[in-house]
Amino acid sequence: MKIAVCIKRVPDMETRFKIAADGKSVDQAGLKFDMSDFDGYAVEVALRLKEKEGQGDVTVISLGPAVVQETLRKALSMGADRAVQLEAESVPFDGLAIAKALAAELKDGGYDLILFGRMAIDSSNQTVGPMTAVLLDLPCMTAASSLEIAGGRATARRELEGAAEILEFPLPAVITIDEGIARPRLPSLKGIMGAKKKPLEVKPAQLGDVHLTVARMELPPERTGGRIIGEGPDAVPELVRLLRTEAKVL
Amino acid sequence: MANTFAYAETRGGELRRVALEAVTAARQLADASGGGEVHALVVGAPGVAARAEQLGRYGADVVTVVEDPALDKYSPEVVAATAARLIDAGNFRVAVFSASAQGKDLSPRVAAKLGVSMISDATSLEVKDDAVVSHHPVNTGKVIAAVTLTGSPAVVSVRPGAIAPAESGSTARVESAKPAIDPASARVVPKELIRGNTAQLDLGEAPVVVSGGRGLKVPENFKLLEDLAAAFGNAAVGATRAVTDEGWRPHSDQIGQTGRLVSPDLYIAAGISGAIQHLAGMRTSRTIVAINKDREAPIFKIADYGIVGDALEVVPVLTEAVKEAKKE
Amino acid sequence: MPPTSGRSLPVIPARYQPALPMDRFILAEQPDAEAVPMDVVFVGGGPAALAGAIELSRLVKQDAEKGGSLGEIEIAVLEKAAGLGEHNLSGAVVNPRPFRELFPDLKDGDFPFRVPVGNERVYFMMGSRAQRIPAPPTMKNHGNYVASICEIVRWMGEKAEEAGVNVFTGFPVESLLVEGERVVGVRTTPSGLQRDGTPGSDYTPPTDLTARVTVLAEGTRGSLSQAYMKWRGIASRNPQIFALGVKEIWETRKPLDAIVHTLGWPLPNDAFGGSFMYPLEPNLVALGLVVGMDYGELDLDVHVLLQRLKTHPLFREYLEGGEMVEWGAKTIPEGGYYAVPERRYGDGVVIVGDSAGFVEVSSLKGIHYAVQSGIYAARAIFDALKKGDTSASALAPYDRMVNESYIMSDLRERRNMRLAFQKSGIYTGGVKAALMTVTKGAFPGGMISSEPDAEAPRARRGGEEFRPDGKLTFSKLDAVFRSGNATRDDIPSHLIVGEDIPGDVAELYQHMCPAGVYERDGDRLVVSPANCIDCKATDDIGPRWTPREGGSGAKYRRM
Repeated sequence: MKIAVCIKRVPDMETRFKIAADGKSVDQAGLKFDMSDFDGYAVEVALRLKEKEGQGDVTVISLGPAVVQETLRKALSMGADRAVQLEAESVPFDGLAIAKALAAELKDGGYDLILFGRMAIDSSNQTVGPMTAVLLDLPCMTAASSLEIAGGRATARRELEGAAEILEFPLPAVITIDEGIARPRLPSLKGIMGAKKKPLEVKPAQLGDVHLTVARMELPPERTGGRIIGEGPDAVPELVRLLRTEAKVL
Repeated sequence: MANTFAYAETRGGELRRVALEAVTAARQLADASGGGEVHALVVGAPGVAARAEQLGRYGADVVTVVEDPALDKYSPEVVAATAARLIDAGNFRVAVFSASAQGKDLSPRVAAKLGVSMISDATSLEVKDDAVVSHHPVNTGKVIAAVTLTGSPAVVSVRPGAIAPAESGSTARVESAKPAIDPASARVVPKELIRGNTAQLDLGEAPVVVSGGRGLKVPENFKLLEDLAAAFGNAAVGATRAVTDEGWRPHSDQIGQTGRLVSPDLYIAAGISGAIQHLAGMRTSRTIVAINKDREAPIFKIADYGIVGDALEVVPVLTEAVKEAKKE
Repeated sequence: MPPTSGRSLPVIPARYQPALPMDRFILAEQPDAEAVPMDVVFVGGGPAALAGAIELSRLVKQDAEKGGSLGEIEIAVLEKAAGLGEHNLSGAVVNPRPFRELFPDLKDGDFPFRVPVGNERVYFMMGSRAQRIPAPPTMKNHGNYVASICEIVRWMGEKAEEAGVNVFTGFPVESLLVEGERVVGVRTTPSGLQRDGTPGSDYTPPTDLTARVTVLAEGTRGSLSQAYMKWRGIASRNPQIFALGVKEIWETRKPLDAIVHTLGWPLPNDAFGGSFMYPLEPNLVALGLVVGMDYGELDLDVHVLLQRLKTHPLFREYLEGGEMVEWGAKTIPEGGYYAVPERRYGDGVVIVGDSAGFVEVSSLKGIHYAVQSGIYAARAIFDALKKGDTSASALAPYDRMVNESYIMSDLRERRNMRLAFQKSGIYTGGVKAALMTVTKGAFPGGMISSEPDAEAPRARRGGEEFRPDGKLTFSKLDAVFRSGNATRDDIPSHLIVGEDIPGDVAELYQHMCPAGVYERDGDRLVVSPANCIDCKATDDIGPRWTPREGGSGAKYRRM
C-alpha cells in the first residue's frame, strides 16, 4: 500500500504565547516546535497499516520553510520511508491555498491512502484535508477515530457530539485522523540513524491564492476566578446557563 | 441585495441546536448588513420538511428541503454537492455552517467545491466592506485570531454555542429540491449512527474532564462522575493524587504536577480542595467549574464558576441538566 | 519527636546514603548483536560534549580533505532530555574564549550570547541592609557575556548536526559496557516501563552502542563518571564537593542594567554561597542562589532561601509586578583544583566538563572550561583514532593538554578559596579568600583538606515557617511546574533510597531537595520521584539518583 501523510510543524502548546510586534502572529522567541499532535497519530496509522501488510511505502509531506525538514525527519525516524518538503516562505492561514499545493503534489503520486491529522493544533482550521480530497476528487473521511481496511475498502468511525457514526468508502481515499486512534511511537535510536539516509526531496510549493488572512492576534482575557454562582443543587441551572452562553462549552 | 445561506444540521430527522444557531447567525448577519434573505438547507429522510416551520421561526426566509429515503443519515458527498449547488446558483454573500463534528466535515468540502476559502470555528461574524471578519481561537484557545476572508461567497463555520439561537418570528417559504447527486452514487456511505456514545477518551485529549477528589468520600461515588462524563459524551474522568494514592482510581488517572497535565475546554472539579499539586495539572483549562463544600477551598480561587455544596448532591443534578442540554 | 521543636543529635547524611549501584552502571557484557556501531559516543549533550563532537568532526573532515586514511567516523551524542538544552542550567556569565577557538570563522556577535557584561555590582547583605562592596577580582566580568546555557547548547547542537554528528535526544545512558579494563560501548535506558518495572504498551528496550572511545560528559555528578572512577580506582586529592543552585527567570517591569551578585543574608554565616541577578534582556532577568552542600543545618532549604532573598528590596524592586516564567535547579561541582580526578582518561574513555570537576567557583565559571575540555578531548581522540589505538596511553595526551592549559592554571590559582569557607565561614573565609587572590593562590601554602558533603553533620536550626504568596514567592510544587517537568507519574522510581530513614533524615531530604521530591510525613519519608528535575543534590547527600526514561524531568528553555 502506498500511503502519503501530510504533516505540519507547530509550536509546543505548553508555551505561554506572546503576540509578536506585528500584532498578527505569535512571538517565535523561545518557542519549541514539533509535529502537530494529530499528525503524529496519522503517521502512526500509516506505519501500522504498512506493518500489517508487511509491505508498503509511506511518504510524509510538509509545507513550509526549511525548518519543516526537522518535522519530516522525525516522521522518517518513526519509520516513514521518504519525505517531501513543499518549500514556501511561510505556511498561509488559508486552507484552500495549502490544499492546492498539496493536491498538486499528490495528484500523480499513485497513493492508495492520503492521511492528515484531524487538524493542525496551531491554526485549528480543520479544512486542508477535506479540501484536498475535493481537489483530487477522492472519497474523504474526516476525524476517523478508528479505521479498518480490507479488500480495497475502508470502514471508519467518527465521534460526534454524544454519538458516533460509521462510514464506509473505497480506496484510494483521503482520511483525516482523530487522536486516540493509535498512540504515536517514539523514534528509536536506530530509527533516528536510519532517517538520516532516507530521501528528502525539496520542491517549490504551488500555493493557491490567499483569501483568508490573520488581521490581528490577541490573548484571551486572563482568568479571574473566584466566582461563586450559588449553593447546592439549586445552582445547577445557572451553571448550565453560564456554560452555554458565557463559556460556550456546552 | 445578497442573501445568506445557512445549513441546518439534523440527527435522526431532528434539528440539532446548532442548526438553530446557524440560522440565527445568518439572520443576524443579514440584518446587520442591510437585509437580504436567509435561505436554510435541511436534508434528511422524507418527513424532514416538518422542520421547516421551526427554521422559519429562527429567521429563515426560505427553507430548501431535500428529502430522500437514502438520506436518513448524513451522507457527506451528497450533502456537500447539494449545498454547493444551491450556494452556487443563488446570490449568496455568506454561507453559514456550524463548526460541529458534521459541520467541520461538510463546510470545507462545500468551500472547495465552490473554489473559495473559508473561516472555521468563528466566535464572531461580521461583513465589513468586501470582507468577512471573524474571531477564531488558535493554539488550543491560548490565542485569538481576528481573521479576514475576501471573495464571495464566503463560507464560515460558527463555533457551537458562540451564537445563542433567537426566534425572530417569521414564516419561511418552503421549497423542495432534489439531491445534487444520486445518493446511491456516493462513494462515502454512512452505515450506522451510534447514539449515546460514551467512548472512553484519553484524559489528555478529552474536551471535557470531570475530576474527583477526597470529597467523594468512597471510591464507589466515582460512578457519579462517570455518569456525568457519559452525559457530556466527550469527557474523561480524572482524579487527584490523594484519590489515586488511596487506590480509588488508577494512577494513570491522576491529574496534577506529578501526574497528567490537562487543559480541556471544560474542567469540572468535584470534591477537590485544590492542592497546588493538583492545580498545576489543570489550571490551564479553558473553563473551570468547582463544586466543593468548603467555601474557602483554594480551588474556588481559580474556578470560573463555583458551587458551594456537596458534590454528591450537586453532580447528579448536573448530570441530568447536561443530558437535557445535549438533547437539544 | 515533633519535626520543628527540640534539638536532636546532628545527622550525618553519609550514614543513610546507599552505595553507588556499580553492578548497574558497569556491565562486563558484550554489546548485543544489534548494537549500533559508533566510533565515538558522547554521554550527555551539554557544552563539553557538543564542543568535543564539533571539534572531532572538523578534524575528521580536514583529514579527509587532506586525503587522510581515517575514513568515515560516526560520532554520537546521547542526551537524556527530550530536547537539547532542556536539562542544562547555569547562571550564566560566559567567557567566550573557547568559543572563538571552536568557531574560528565566527565573531563574538555570532555566538548565542545575550548581552556583553556592562555594569557590575556586588553587595554584602545584612538582613534588610545591602552594602555595596567592590567586586572581588575573581568576580570581574568585563569582556564576558550574559547568556542562557540552554540557548548555547541548542545552538551548538545545530552546529554539531550540521557537521554530521548524530545527536540523539531522549536517550539516557544506563550502563558502560566494558571488556576487561576497557570501555567498549554503552547501553541506553529503556522507556515505557510501568511502575512495577514491567514493560508497558509503549515499551522501548535499551539500545546498545559500540564505541572506540566513550566520552563521559554527563555534567554534574555523572552517574557513570562516578562509577567509572570508582571501578578504576581513580582518586582525587580532595573529595569532590558540590553547591546547589536554584534559579528563576523573571519577566520584569523594571529593566535591570547591571549584573548583580550578593553575599551574606539570607544564608547562615557558616554556609558558603551567594546570589546572582543577570539581565538576559532589559526586562528578562535570571536570578538565583547558590549554596554549598556542606551547610550545617538540617533544615536549610535553598529554594526557600531564594524565595526569602527575593523579598529583599534589592530584588523586590525589579521583580514586583513581574512574572516568574521559569524555575530550575542544579548542583555545581565546586571542589576545584584538588577535587579534579588524578586522571580523566582510561582505556576507551575520557571524562570532560563538569563530570571531571572543571569548575572555578570563586569566579562562578565552568562553561568555558567544559567547552575547552571537550575541544582537547576531541584532539586527543582524533590522534588516537589516527593511530588506531584508543587505549589509555593513547588518550593520555588529553590530560596533558588540560593540565597545560588555563583550565588547570585557573583552578590552581584559586585552589583553596572554596575550601577556606568550609573551614572558616563567610567572614574569616572571605578574608582568607582575599589573601589568596592577592597571592595568586600561594597563601596559605599547601592544601586545605576537605570532606565529602555527605559527611558534614547537620543540626536543626529552626525558625519561622516560610509561606509563599504565589506572586513573588513560590512553593516547591509551583516551582517544579515552572520547570516544565511533566514526567510520567507511573514510571518506576529512579531514586535509590536507604532503608529505615529516620524522621530527622527525612526532614533533611525534604529541605535539601528543591523540587519537593521528599516529604517528611510523621516519621516516614514520602518520595515523589516524578517531581525530580535531575539537579543531583539528592545524589550528593541523600538517596542515589539513577537514569530514568528519556525525556523525563525538566524542560528548561532559557536557563
